[in-house]
Amino acid sequence: MRIPKAIITAAGKGQTSLPLQRLVDIDSNEKSALEVIIEEIEAAGIESIGVVIRPPDEDAYRQAAGKYADRLKFIFQEQPSGYGQALLCSRSYVGTDPVLHLVGDHVYLSRLPGKRCAQQLVEVATSSKCAVSAVQPTRETMLPFFGAIGGNRLPQTSNLYEVKKVIEKPTPTLAEQELTVAGFRSGMYLCFFGMHVLTPTVFEILAELIEMSERPVPLAEALNVLATRERYLACEIVGSRHNIGIKYGLLSAQLALSLSGQDRDRILSELVELLAAQPSVANAS
Amino acid sequence: MPLSQANGSLMALQQPMKTNPSWIETITSADLQTRDRSVDRLAAGRSLTELLQAAEQLDAFWRKEPNLYHRVRALFFLASIFRYHVPRQVDLKVDGRTSARAVGHLLGRRFVEAIDVFRAELLSTGPNLAVSSGLARAYYQLGIQTLADQVRKSVRTVRGNQWMFRVGHPGEHPLRIHPMLLGSSEEPSDFPLLVEKTSVRMDFSHSAWSDIFFLGMDYPEGARVINASIDLAVRGRDPVPRPPIEAYLRIIDRPLLRLVSVDLGAEAEIDEIDEVFDFARDYLGLLKAALIASGVVPPAMEGCHQKTRTLLRSLIGQRGRGLELVSQVNDIPKGSRLAVSTNLLGCLISILMRATGQISKIEGGLEEQDRRLVAARAILGEWLGGSGGGWQDSGGIWPGIKLIQGCPAMEGDPEHQVSRGRLLPQHQLLDDQAIAPETRQRLQESLILVHGGMAQNVGPILEMVTEKYLVRSDIEWAARQEAVGILDKILAALRAGDLKQVGALTTLNFQRPLHSIIPAVTNQFTDTLIELAQQKFQSRFWGFWMLGGMSGGGMGFIFDPKSKLEAQAWLAETMIATKRRLQDRLPFAMDPVVYDFSINDRGSWATLLRGDDARMPDGYYGLIAPKWIKQDFRNLSEQAQRELIRLSQNCRESPGSVQWLLDRILPSSSLGQQEPSDLTALLRDNGFDSEQHEQIRSDLKLGRIGLAQNRLPAQTTIDDVLPDDVIDVRGESDQALRQLGAAVIADGALAVVTLAAGAGSRWTGGAGVVKGLHPFWKLLGKHRSFIDIHLAKTKKTSTEFRVPIPHVITTGYLTHGPIEKFLSERGDGDELGPVYLSRGMSVGLRTIPTARDLRFYWEETHQQVLDEQQQKVRESARNALMQWAIQQGEASDYLHNTPLQCLHPVGHWYEVPNMLRNGLLRRLLSEYPKLRYLLLHNVDTLGASIDPLLLGHHIREKACLTFEVIPRRIDDRGGGLARVDGHPRLVEGLALPREEDEFRLRYYNSLTTWIDLELLLSVFGLSHNELDDQTKVDSAVRRVAQRMPTYLTIKDVKKRWGHGQEDIFPVTQFEKLWGDMTILPDVRCRYLVVDVFRGQQLKDPAQLDGWFRDGSSKYVENLCEFTRP
Repeated sequence: MRIPKAIITAAGKGQTSLPLQRLVDIDSNEKSALEVIIEEIEAAGIESIGVVIRPPDEDAYRQAAGKYADRLKFIFQEQPSGYGQALLCSRSYVGTDPVLHLVGDHVYLSRLPGKRCAQQLVEVATSSKCAVSAVQPTRETMLPFFGAIGGNRLPQTSNLYEVKKVIEKPTPTLAEQELTVAGFRSGMYLCFFGMHVLTPTVFEILAELIEMSERPVPLAEALNVLATRERYLACEIVGSRHNIGIKYGLLSAQLALSLSGQDRDRILSELVELLAAQPSVANAS
Repeated sequence: MPLSQANGSLMALQQPMKTNPSWIETITSADLQTRDRSVDRLAAGRSLTELLQAAEQLDAFWRKEPNLYHRVRALFFLASIFRYHVPRQVDLKVDGRTSARAVGHLLGRRFVEAIDVFRAELLSTGPNLAVSSGLARAYYQLGIQTLADQVRKSVRTVRGNQWMFRVGHPGEHPLRIHPMLLGSSEEPSDFPLLVEKTSVRMDFSHSAWSDIFFLGMDYPEGARVINASIDLAVRGRDPVPRPPIEAYLRIIDRPLLRLVSVDLGAEAEIDEIDEVFDFARDYLGLLKAALIASGVVPPAMEGCHQKTRTLLRSLIGQRGRGLELVSQVNDIPKGSRLAVSTNLLGCLISILMRATGQISKIEGGLEEQDRRLVAARAILGEWLGGSGGGWQDSGGIWPGIKLIQGCPAMEGDPEHQVSRGRLLPQHQLLDDQAIAPETRQRLQESLILVHGGMAQNVGPILEMVTEKYLVRSDIEWAARQEAVGILDKILAALRAGDLKQVGALTTLNFQRPLHSIIPAVTNQFTDTLIELAQQKFQSRFWGFWMLGGMSGGGMGFIFDPKSKLEAQAWLAETMIATKRRLQDRLPFAMDPVVYDFSINDRGSWATLLRGDDARMPDGYYGLIAPKWIKQDFRNLSEQAQRELIRLSQNCRESPGSVQWLLDRILPSSSLGQQEPSDLTALLRDNGFDSEQHEQIRSDLKLGRIGLAQNRLPAQTTIDDVLPDDVIDVRGESDQALRQLGAAVIADGALAVVTLAAGAGSRWTGGAGVVKGLHPFWKLLGKHRSFIDIHLAKTKKTSTEFRVPIPHVITTGYLTHGPIEKFLSERGDGDELGPVYLSRGMSVGLRTIPTARDLRFYWEETHQQVLDEQQQKVRESARNALMQWAIQQGEASDYLHNTPLQCLHPVGHWYEVPNMLRNGLLRRLLSEYPKLRYLLLHNVDTLGASIDPLLLGHHIREKACLTFEVIPRRIDDRGGGLARVDGHPRLVEGLALPREEDEFRLRYYNSLTTWIDLELLLSVFGLSHNELDDQTKVDSAVRRVAQRMPTYLTIKDVKKRWGHGQEDIFPVTQFEKLWGDMTILPDVRCRYLVVDVFRGQQLKDPAQLDGWFRDGSSKYVENLCEFTRP
């Protein structure tokens, strides 16, 4: 299975400016979050990238994309009608090939030397020849923030799961009933990583659901249907995701990048200095 | 004495055991016939040695057996062996002592340790009643505890419940409030109101309490219930039936939890999470349990010491926001047997789960998986609140009529390989195909639901049913099978639309299987109503319908639909009249009511109201609006201002509809008119000594008297009596002494005195009814009271000796009128023989306890620790009661109840002197000049009878008082016969310097006393002639009274309010006790050791089942000759 294209969604309410934020990457280069995401995709061998945005944001995104601007295809979501509809806007761009999809408000950090997160996902999808979502074991207290899957581990694998059920931001009550995974500690669930390889069936399903529903349709709903129609896997990624859209999310993402890169010692020293300059805080803790 | 037998048993225990597999096989066998053998059958014909060997095998079995139900069954087998079978065979003359260490373990719920101590004693001393009763109790309680632990574990492991036991910090709360409750951006503080309305459940049959969790989990095939969800209206008050339970929820603009119970008139604003776990602090325990069980405040947060605002911020996602939860039960009285509490809990849990997205739909009905989840959470909530019913109780959440059945546990279920059945049953809705709409309609037209007004605790019944099921007593097992068969027939009759047949079957169910398993399901009130209905309506009365666990409260009567209106009116009238007649004998909490009902086909239903429609129920504003009105409008929150404006608008638009608000905020002429004259008159008429009362109050306040001061000095030595201190008459047949006694009886020299002045507060839980008149058991086919039985025993002796035997019943302020009325209504005076009432001449006024005494009572005396959650609830209640006592004023008069409940009897010591003071003894001596002896006994000592042999002993010993004592069993607490500083005497438990002293005493005081009147009069310093001189008599009584110790005690007293609600308060009273006559050196006392059957006392209705099964009731029946067969 070949995955020639990728889609970044960045048209969500309150999310449009997030990819434009500036960060310093692990190589100590300052760039926008969008550039960091694009590099993640590039490293996975993807040839073409579409970005779903709101029409007025095009200039800002072009600027934020820097040297990658010319390689991007901007797709417009005219009205903020939900995540599923944003993805569906890219249907004609995607065509009949599987597509890598990343959300615009996350940055990723791999813990596998020489292999970025998107690359891990694409390799699994390519060899498995089906839709695959990147997932991460997540404590139940974080369920209000993520979509989560239920399923069984594939035999003879350590990080692949056959997805049976997908629920967007489930309550722990529902998660316990529907999403437990054999072998997992109680209270741990496989939650989305913000990265998927989607097959054309997903777009078909999205179209059907949006047609039937008057409310915005989340991607998770379509993926739940996908699990009943074709083989659909989840892959536990060796890495971490950082949501820059939540409070202190950008700071946390920056720290994660810096502490994993060549500026690690410098950042650590600065943190120690900061802590030393606030004796009352240090004592209180 | 057959010592060899005891030694033989002992040796048998120490030798290798013979193999006798039948007991264990009965527990483990897959073959139903083998498995269902009863303990009674297994024990029949076994020698003591064989029984003890079987007990050894069973004890070894339960300790290593992994299967829960096998373990529990072995424990109940053991309890049964030691409660019923070993006592029949032990050598009655081997008296044992109860180990203080073992009792300490029992009270602390360390049951295994208690068993180990008792077993060690069994090995060292051989079998006796004390150790046997101890083992029976320990095995029984361990069995019940093991079952309760399993249900708790199962509830916790239900998928969807587990996370709540892990999330311990409010900042990590994984639930979010439903966005539809957040309000609009235009009106940020005008939050929508979510309303949920729920029915109650009415059961057609519960197949002999088969919905008890333990039963359903062990015997899913027999766990079957048919129930219907119904709406109710109180006849004459409500226009049409409606769901009786309502819950309201909304976001508020203050960062706290506000809980309001409209019907209980209680509200609280909760700022600390820990307060949510303080269940008994106020009347909001059920709302708090719902908050916890719904996961809004997960159980794991108990003790987190965090503010609710932290939790609310995570939950609602906004600062400064809180939640308000309001409950309302539409004035349906407590004890309706319609599971109002469980369905209210279910309704509250459902609304909270909707609000937090745990139920798929915020509005409308519930899906099946939602209902099951709510039911599971309701079980959790009941456990948290320290209560619990059966699994059918949350039936009001479901729609219509349903068949609910236990399910076998399959692989993947948490119960798999733990129990045979699942915790939760399957609900099968019986649709219009199964039961035609016309049949449903006709059911509504023929069944009349009522609340008889009786308040009774169904808890002990459920424990008895569980025990009987597990030991498979033959009668119980046959009855259970019959009940299961009747359910099938009811189902068939419903399918066929034959409601007359349904009525016949529900009656049969009540009168046959249910009554066979638990005779206490019925009572004189219920039986009278059934009898009267049959007489009045004959073939138009189709049957009786028991609801829930027992009758007397909520019940049903089925009539020909053409007679329904007539029957409704007749029932309303007849129930009130019957209640009036019986209310001194049976505990009624309220006047009976008749309901209208309709079947609810929607189940629990929620609606989201917005804007002006988002209005709380009227009662809510009655509670809350006065508080708003008292504040400056500008200081109110935006939301409260808006509510107040809407309320004011409503008042203007329809002034007639706001009468309730005016009643609440303005004084009315009927308020504040509590007339104290009733109490004053009662005090005056019953010999209240105000001087003594003030002295006691002053002493109490200064700490001169109190519970701690009841005790004898610490240096007092307490020892068991020596063999020569007692005369053991068990099994004795001294003909000479018997003839001596018989001659005296035949000569007319004996009278009987039954002490019945006390309130019997333990028997009725402080309900203030007359224990002596309580028709507690059916003997020879009729409900008999304690007094019925005592009179029948005297009658039999009188017939046997052909002599009239005067029978005196001593009475008090509470009991005199009712007993007098009861005797006159019996109408068999001539046949009965001479009966006299000796009216009490003294009364005390209860006072509020001091915090010091409450602390001593609760913390310094040994008390049974309850199951974990119940103990938490008890401790919370005790804190609240301590605050109540301090606020009310320690040692101040207790006046906050009906006048009769504010008085107290001053102890049974006064009852014999009262016969001197009220002139009855003088009268008896003049009417029966030969009268020389009295047999005095307590009203609850049913085995006490005129025994010529014992009287012979008394005469031969030339004693003034001869007391009967019995070998102590584990339940016999409260003192006994002891050598106190070397002198034998009776000593009260509350006077013992150390509580553990009691366990060294082999004999318990039955209080039954043979009295030589001449010698007694000499103790009082009175001659026959001086009995006419009231002044001398009074002075003599006062003189002896001053030599008697006075004890301070704490008793529970019930206060009734609202619709069948009852609160229990501790109050202080004082008393002087008859047994203390033994401390007077000038009173010659002797002590006879008699059989347990003769001397045991019935203090608690929970003893009745054992009393029946161990042969005690038969023993008593044989002593009686009833004039009303």
